[in-house]
Amino acid sequence: MPESLAFHEPTSVADAVGLLARYGGEAKVVAGSTAVTIMLRNRLIAPRALVSLGRIQDGLRSIREEDGALVLGALVTHREVEMSALVRERIPVLAETFGTVANVRVRNVATVGGVVAEADYASDPPAVLLALDAQIEARGPSGERRIPVADFFRGFYETALEADEVVTAVRIPIPPAGTRGSYEKFVTRSSEDRPCVGVVALARFDGQRCADLRVAVGAASETPRRHPEIEQLGRGTTLRGDVVPTIAAGYASAIDALDDMRGSSWYRRRVIEVWVRRAIERVASAASQR
Amino acid sequence: MSAGSVPFSGMIDAYERVTGRIPYTINIELPGMAIAKVLRSTMAHARIARLDVSRARQLPGVYAVLTGADLLERSDIYPYFGPVFRDRPILAIGKVRYVGEPVVAVAAVDADAAQEALDLVDVDYDELPAVFGIDDALAPGAPLVHEEPPKAGHTFADIILHGHPGTNICNQFKLRKGDIERGLAEADEVFEDTFYSPPLQQVPLETHCCVAQVTDGRVTVWATSQIPHMLRGNLAEVFKLPTSRVRVIVPTLGGAYGAKCYPAIEPIAAVLALSAKRPVKFHLTRDEEFVTVTKHGGRITLTTGVTRDGRIVARKSLCHFNTGAYADIGPRLIKNGGYGTAGPHNIPHVWVDSFAIYTNIPPAGAFRGYGINQAAWAYESQMDVIAERLGLDPYEFRMKNLLTEGQTFATGEPVEDCHFRELLTMVAKGIGWDATTRRTRQGPIVRGKGLSCTIKSTVTPSTSIAVVNLNDSGSLNVLTSSVEMGQGQKTAHAILAAERLGISLDKVVVVSPDTDATPYDQQSSSSRTTYAGGAAVQLAVDDVRAQLVRIGSGLLGVPEDAVEIADARVRTKAPPHRGLELGEVVRKSRSGALVGRGTFQTKGNLDPETGQGVASAHWNQAAAAAEVEVDLETGKVRLLRYHGASYPGRVVNRVQAELQLEGNVGFGVSQALFEEMVFDGGQLQNATLADYMLTSTEDMPRELVVHILENRERGDIHGIGETSLPPVMAAIGNAVFHATGVRVKDLPITPEKVLRGLRERDAADQAERNAHAAEPVR
Repeated sequence: MPESLAFHEPTSVADAVGLLARYGGEAKVVAGSTAVTIMLRNRLIAPRALVSLGRIQDGLRSIREEDGALVLGALVTHREVEMSALVRERIPVLAETFGTVANVRVRNVATVGGVVAEADYASDPPAVLLALDAQIEARGPSGERRIPVADFFRGFYETALEADEVVTAVRIPIPPAGTRGSYEKFVTRSSEDRPCVGVVALARFDGQRCADLRVAVGAASETPRRHPEIEQLGRGTTLRGDVVPTIAAGYASAIDALDDMRGSSWYRRRVIEVWVRRAIERVASAASQR
Repeated sequence: MSAGSVPFSGMIDAYERVTGRIPYTINIELPGMAIAKVLRSTMAHARIARLDVSRARQLPGVYAVLTGADLLERSDIYPYFGPVFRDRPILAIGKVRYVGEPVVAVAAVDADAAQEALDLVDVDYDELPAVFGIDDALAPGAPLVHEEPPKAGHTFADIILHGHPGTNICNQFKLRKGDIERGLAEADEVFEDTFYSPPLQQVPLETHCCVAQVTDGRVTVWATSQIPHMLRGNLAEVFKLPTSRVRVIVPTLGGAYGAKCYPAIEPIAAVLALSAKRPVKFHLTRDEEFVTVTKHGGRITLTTGVTRDGRIVARKSLCHFNTGAYADIGPRLIKNGGYGTAGPHNIPHVWVDSFAIYTNIPPAGAFRGYGINQAAWAYESQMDVIAERLGLDPYEFRMKNLLTEGQTFATGEPVEDCHFRELLTMVAKGIGWDATTRRTRQGPIVRGKGLSCTIKSTVTPSTSIAVVNLNDSGSLNVLTSSVEMGQGQKTAHAILAAERLGISLDKVVVVSPDTDATPYDQQSSSSRTTYAGGAAVQLAVDDVRAQLVRIGSGLLGVPEDAVEIADARVRTKAPPHRGLELGEVVRKSRSGALVGRGTFQTKGNLDPETGQGVASAHWNQAAAAAEVEVDLETGKVRLLRYHGASYPGRVVNRVQAELQLEGNVGFGVSQALFEEMVFDGGQLQNATLADYMLTSTEDMPRELVVHILENRERGDIHGIGETSLPPVMAAIGNAVFHATGVRVKDLPITPEKVLRGLRERDAADQAERNAHAAEPVR
């Protein structure tokens, strides 16, 4: 490095925020360091300082239930979400999604705060957090705020976070009883690759009829996408027959899919159509088995 | 080993391996050692307009800063190297030829200081037009990667050179067997198909590393090299020294797969050590490894003539291998990749033109399979194309054409110890092949099976020498320059020595290569380490045995033909077997130790104009069968089952043999489905293992069976390091075709290519239905 890189280990969120404010945008927060290390090594970022959250207690490592929501502390690892009995009980699709990320070695260190703050378009969790109407809790010099996921992801590696804000938790409302969810990850290369397309479908049934359908598509565009105007086509139906392909085709044409080594834009649209359909079919058939 | 004992199977250094105690080159630390780093070209093809290293030289903690111009000025350095052509400057001279080429080298007190020095280098380039692909490079008036014809130097005996000065053709190999025109004329059907393989990485876990020291007029390097003696020769040439003044020490390697065959980073480390006047360590990062050596991308067009009943009568092959900016071993690889396209088939008329082409991408060199992967992907894919068109069962079509004992290969040499039909039958049975097998379908998921059968040569002629010291305790040191790179060389050589002498394995130590002490070995590659290196060890033990018999008979007072070596003793043949322990013989001989020498040499060569002659001392034979499922809606391929079969002659170490065979399947699955170096304007786009995809355990088939066809009576050892890799890709491609009717001709077989193929197939079917519908009813 041209300049030496300072490394700070504050013991409180307030101190971390203070450090970030002091560096005025030239510091990077590091937690599990699965992403930051690669970016540093490839010289994609050149911060003056790293602010490690490793020594902070402040409840950043807990998974708890609070006011009808699950609150995942920013330092909770992917593996902890995957294995948590509480998460599996309350929001199984959340545990399922975190369990599909990379491999167990990565999941043992990569954190919940990290995956949202990094905002890599090809991460699995953002789409499921969007579908679940999660909120990101962040603390800055002027205190704490909650940012809906729909407003949080802004673009490639770009979020609504200010340079001096730290993600402290992700708050996920527990869906009403009877909601079924499914995360369908599609990889075009090795099983450990990031998704080419990830689709989450959540459906709540009232008898035979779908009372609520939520579909989010990740990894196919700059930020995960939901289309309420298409989702609502499923409401009041049995989620069988023509409505499902219609919704799937709607997503495929609504999303401006990107091109990368995992697939062309043309290919991603084809996959979105297939995968949205299959994700809905899966939650519909799971619902019918109750 | 005494009779009845269980043969050793595993690795003799297993404990050291699993406890992290193997000393690799990166673990070498010398007093005062500096760390090297290199500034690399950001241009694919450019003149170096200005290069200013003055600020870097002034930085505290920097011991040496070198440029190509500096080296050119020195009278004690010859600044070019390479295994065939001396076309590669140690550091770029005058111009750069690929993105990633070393331009400036720095040795400094630590890595940070070295990096800081590189950041202070000012370099300006005048960009030149560049060529990246084969067609670019061969276009009339294409910019030349090398303006001058490459300088040849001392090289391997089997190299055939056909230069094309004034073009980007680095070398050509020709083969002319029979009369191709007549053969194609005699054929009932002629098929022409073109197949592509992308450039790839070998991806050894351990990246290249070299520690160099220059003192007292001697150059010493600790290197991650598969070829210690050739590296010694190349460094001697660079330093203008007698080879005796260069010493190459090779610790155990953390994998190689061909990447570490030929000199790459060692000359840089060594000239830095000379200039810095202290030891220097140069260890590549993974992204540097990506641009140091690669597997050749290739395009192969096969024109194959077949009779209506399915006999191949003629094959014309046009092969282009993209050898990148420097020749490395490309001039030789095109020979193997060229004659390799005839496959294990009895074809009377064969014509091959195979070219190594210079382009402005990183140099391509040796890669497990050595040109045969590209060749086999082509010919075994085309076998199924032909079978489909002729309405033949791919198994029967192969059985009809596979070489049998004594039939001639493309090079005109008879193939002996021939087992292709047995191997193909083994895998066909394993996978449940049956001529009436139709693809099965469940919803959008279809299943299909594919076969493949391949032949691979081993470098010929070649030489290995071994020395064994029988100590006066009866223990044995084996001195060989064969390299342990995880394949189990030390174990294999120890087993061969122990069993030949009849002593227990724990009495044998195999010494690591050190060119000051261990004798010449041509190369630890080409699947020859157990075969050829091992043969030299056995001959050296035979030499010791002869001495033991001679000395022992004298000591026992009986004629030589009345003594034998058994139970670690020299004894009389007749009961009651009066005798002496081996160590006792050594002690009583007062020779200190008995030194045995063994030289194993194979003979052969090819005619430079016709490619006829002897290409290989023996043939490495393999077959494969794969079953895949394909999602028709996404094109995603999943490998369900895989059966591989190889002929290793005699197995020396069963566990290691099985692991080699399985490892090859992993390599092949990765190449079939995932791997590809992606370039944009000569800039590599995926130089990390997060972006460059290797197969994961999850992608391996749930049913993976490796069949070993042994021939213990004959006792010959055939190499297995590469043998079972070449058939993998085509077996998978053929299974995908069987499942879907989609023939992907360019690796890797990505879901997107399959889906596009399915769409085209459906569109063609629809067009055909429409055409039929439009026909008037008569």
